[in-house]
Amino acid sequence: MKRFDCLKSLAALLDPSTIVVTNVGPICREWNALRPSDANLLQVNLGLCAGVGLGIAVSLPHRQVVMLDGDGNLLLNLASLADLANQNLNNVVHIVLDNESYEGGGGLKSATAGKADLAGIARSSGVPNASTVTSLEQFETVARQSLSTPGHHFIVAKVEKGSVDKLPTLTLDGKEAKYRFARHIEKTEGVQILRPRYTHL
Amino acid sequence: MEPAAVDAVVEGLKKSGVDFISLMPDSDFSVLQDRVAKDKDFTYVPVSNEAIGVAVCAGAYLSGKRPALLVPTSGLLVAAWPLTSINMAWSLPLLLLIPYRGDLGDAFWMMGPYKDTTEPLLKVLNVPYAVISKNDEVAKAIVDAQGSTISWQRPVAVLLTGETIK
Repeated sequence: MKRFDCLKSLAALLDPSTIVVTNVGPICREWNALRPSDANLLQVNLGLCAGVGLGIAVSLPHRQVVMLDGDGNLLLNLASLADLANQNLNNVVHIVLDNESYEGGGGLKSATAGKADLAGIARSSGVPNASTVTSLEQFETVARQSLSTPGHHFIVAKVEKGSVDKLPTLTLDGKEAKYRFARHIEKTEGVQILRPRYTHL
Repeated sequence: MEPAAVDAVVEGLKKSGVDFISLMPDSDFSVLQDRVAKDKDFTYVPVSNEAIGVAVCAGAYLSGKRPALLVPTSGLLVAAWPLTSINMAWSLPLLLLIPYRGDLGDAFWMMGPYKDTTEPLLKVLNVPYAVISKNDEVAKAIVDAQGSTISWQRPVAVLLTGETIK
């Protein structure tokens, strides 16, 4: 199963208002090509994608939050799964594109190439709906079901290493990503986030 | 922490507009943690390590919340990586409250190394900070730190020592 095909099918299922948090590496470049949107928060560094998604999902419980995580990213802070589960969230679809390697870091094997079973770990951490899929058809079925059912869903998609040819370069840095996403939330939620002069005081 | 210090911290957090608190459970902050967990003015997200806490607060801030992270002294070292890879790289604010174990007068051998790491690490990370030792200075320090972190778009820390963490 190719990661790009999974993401392509996911993009077709998403509501434009859905917030998507992605890790750094090939996933964010592929996702940006497939679903460019200011509702994306791209390039969250190793170990932190799930944590950032947790902060967003708790703060905006009426918005659907999809996390596009990597096996290496999640493995660094596995406890994120327990912290997410303990919040009893109803608006999370956490997808791990598991290529069993650190593809963005040279391609060496991750622990999921060995004995680690992320869906099993998630289940044991208290995540109520955790599954592993190995075909595009399975992925589409589980993703559609997860997106249409309130809850906390966790999907491990076993994918091949490698991306697609001629993927556009991601020209966004973290600062611009921050401003774009924050302005999007300000506009869609009617809140003020950026305050060059903090007048609350 | 004694009740007067806990009151002062909560007063400062509320005056400064903080409405979201993440923390890693810690003995120095345990009474305060229990208090904020039960206070409906705060969205409360306990985490299993401080790195996750920094990430959670980043997500909360970008969603319109005003987060603060309560960081155990040693946990600042754990938080250093996401403070670098998220807050420094993206230029994101974060109010950090840190009990300053290992400050002069802390007569427990295990806390000694944190005199060597805490302030130097904040300096390396370019995190401005205030060291507060009196209960009656706590609330204002938190309010000042919050105003600076939001408007400067970088983390700011308040180190609590002396009578504030007795």
